[in-house]
Amino acid sequence: MTTEMTQSQIRKSNSGKPFLTRQRRRTLTFYMLISPWLLGFIFLAVIPLVIGLATSFTNYDGLNLDSIKFVGLNNYTRAFGDPDVKFSVGRTLIWGALNLPLWLGLSFLMALILNQDVKGRGAYRTIFYLPSLVPIAIAVTAWRIILEPNFGMLNNLISQFTPKPVAIKWLSDYAMFGMTGISIWLGLGVGMIIFLAGLQGIPDELKEAARIDGANDWQVFRHIILVLMTPIIFFQLVMGLISSFQQLNLPLLITKVGISTTSVAPRPIYLYMIHTYTQIFTNGRYGYGTALLWLLFIGILILTIVVFWSQKFWVYDNSSEGDS
Amino acid sequence: MTEKPLKKLSRRDALKLSGTVVAGAVLAGCATPTPEPTEAAVEPTAAPVAEVPTQEPVAKPIEGNVVVMHFPHEFTEDIVKAYQDSHPGVTVEVVDGQDATRFFAMYAAGSPPDIYRLQAPSIPGFLARKLLYDLTPYFEASKLIDMADLAPANDYYKAASPLEIGSGKTYGMVKDFSPDTTIFANKTLFEKAGLPAPDDTKAKTYIEVMEDARKLTVFDGERMTQYGYGYEAGWVDRFWMNILGETDQSLYNSDYSKMVLTTSDDAKAIVKWFYDMAAEKLTVSPKNPSPGGWFGNDFLSNAAAMVQYGFWYSAMAISDANKDGAMMLPGPTWTGVRRDPTVTATGAIVTSATQNPDAAWSVYEYFHADQPSIDRARSGWGVPALKSQWSLIPQETDFQKQAYKVLEGELALNTTPLQFNPFIGESVVSTLWNTNLDMALGGTITFDDMLAAIEKETNVAIKEGIDRIMG
Repeated sequence: MTTEMTQSQIRKSNSGKPFLTRQRRRTLTFYMLISPWLLGFIFLAVIPLVIGLATSFTNYDGLNLDSIKFVGLNNYTRAFGDPDVKFSVGRTLIWGALNLPLWLGLSFLMALILNQDVKGRGAYRTIFYLPSLVPIAIAVTAWRIILEPNFGMLNNLISQFTPKPVAIKWLSDYAMFGMTGISIWLGLGVGMIIFLAGLQGIPDELKEAARIDGANDWQVFRHIILVLMTPIIFFQLVMGLISSFQQLNLPLLITKVGISTTSVAPRPIYLYMIHTYTQIFTNGRYGYGTALLWLLFIGILILTIVVFWSQKFWVYDNSSEGDS
Repeated sequence: MTEKPLKKLSRRDALKLSGTVVAGAVLAGCATPTPEPTEAAVEPTAAPVAEVPTQEPVAKPIEGNVVVMHFPHEFTEDIVKAYQDSHPGVTVEVVDGQDATRFFAMYAAGSPPDIYRLQAPSIPGFLARKLLYDLTPYFEASKLIDMADLAPANDYYKAASPLEIGSGKTYGMVKDFSPDTTIFANKTLFEKAGLPAPDDTKAKTYIEVMEDARKLTVFDGERMTQYGYGYEAGWVDRFWMNILGETDQSLYNSDYSKMVLTTSDDAKAIVKWFYDMAAEKLTVSPKNPSPGGWFGNDFLSNAAAMVQYGFWYSAMAISDANKDGAMMLPGPTWTGVRRDPTVTATGAIVTSATQNPDAAWSVYEYFHADQPSIDRARSGWGVPALKSQWSLIPQETDFQKQAYKVLEGELALNTTPLQFNPFIGESVVSTLWNTNLDMALGGTITFDDMLAAIEKETNVAIKEGIDRIMG
């Protein structure tokens, strides 16, 4: 009896019911709206990643599709025995240790200064952001003129204060410092803008209340501004870390010499990505090169996980606000 | 009856519609684009158009689409237009070939170009991988190209097998070439250094070049204001091979399965010369970068007293700063035996994957032997591939006359082409040289360590190449 009534009720309620229910419409709308990104992600990220992973287990060299061989984990084990891999990892760690703190510190400092209520700060913000808009190839060309050892502007300036002209090799022996300078010049504006956005999100009432309670500028900075900015600093740290390990364009452009196609980055800036690039595009070791890239991915992932784990010790968590 | 008002497009509907449109655009964008011809740079010189040699009509109309992977400033839009106007059935697409990896990508995608620009060292490797189309019947039947008229540099594109370059089937030809080890010297700087003006009738030895470079390298404190000698480090192994060739020796063993460097006193001595030049800062190196970014620029600004480049450089060797002193000299020698200094021989091949060899050959023949070759000859940017066009090389200025005189002597050398290794890429050895030279000059490794590292890594690369090619 109950079943017949239920079935009757069901038949009645189903008569005239549209296929596209409200829930289905919402789901379809969702997928249609994210489809451009999703398609791009699948075709431009997922598929190349899978192909790259598959390539890393082969001896592919760009031309041997008809005689390609599966080599198992050989490419991965080779990386651990390659002295140039160890060297380039070391140089990359040094690059990250030098570039990242300087970039974070200087862009935060710049944001603090330009968050003050001074005349013309809009213009200053624009001026400091402009280098970020310069294409990297043009920036490196300009900086090579400045940093050129024999006739560059920087060494000419230093030579004014030395008994004999100097020729400090900013792009070879001291390329790590030269490259750091160029990188910070290019990236300062972007970092500054993000920190500025964070600073402007700090309520003025907190700072005023602290001042009323007798806090000086340093105490306001240390206990309010810095604390509330830790989520932004954390974000910048993670993005900067990933970017540092993936650095390729800058050392490649610094190294490019005339019409030569075999310029190699000087040893001080022989970064991990430079070694990978050389393996793939000079030596034709696509299989080995993609294995190196996957190892880089794993390394960055581990480092990022460590940074995420560390955030509980130093990143301000405002999600517990309101719990009284 | 009242009309129903038009339904307003809601925000949700507008978002759905735009999402659909963008998704459609993304899907359309995923389709393989048809490569468009790239814009060509301005040609360095403009030669008047000469009378075009006539051709007998072909029996069958040639039709199709030909993809040419070349340098856009060499295979220009004007050339494409002129060819298509005279060959209405064929369309030509030029793909920028300045990055070799694009060729690999097209090959992997199953759509390699029909014609591909390359240099002589790539021929053995490409042949070993069966990437070259045998053009022998086309060359033999050509009305524009007389095989006897081909300059000896074209022998780099002939091969009986990957290890027998120089004779056999014909796989291509040069677009133009240069004796590559000739020297451009600034005699004004020689005189300032107290050296006699260079003799353009006699080749210097490499020892003499080093001695001159020592006197021509000038430092002001730490600043290098002038250096003695610049050379193309990317071709360093070709120079080693050419020097060893003076005594019929090779950088490799007989079947090219191993590099022979540490156990060959002659090879070690040659490499030591290049190392010493860098160590004494007589030339540019990873530790002593070029002031102008490229030694070719340094010669123009009088920062380099001698540079080793092929005849093609004569088209740009003169500047306001050096015009009174620039001159061309014969290529140097190691033992006193003169070898043909041609080591690059830039040309093109038709790929074995071409679907339309007749159309590909028609385009190929036009570019290499028809009006474009005459224009190239008149531009002075290289020696024409056809000997009958050598008289078109410019000889108007005193410098051009002097350079041509030296060139004649180099062209008369006519020795067998170098056998490049088919198992490794053309940049492998020079990249190892640059990397290890940097370490050796920095004191991280010794000279002998450097030699051992270059030999070891090259042999690893050769073994990998053999495995990939032989299967």
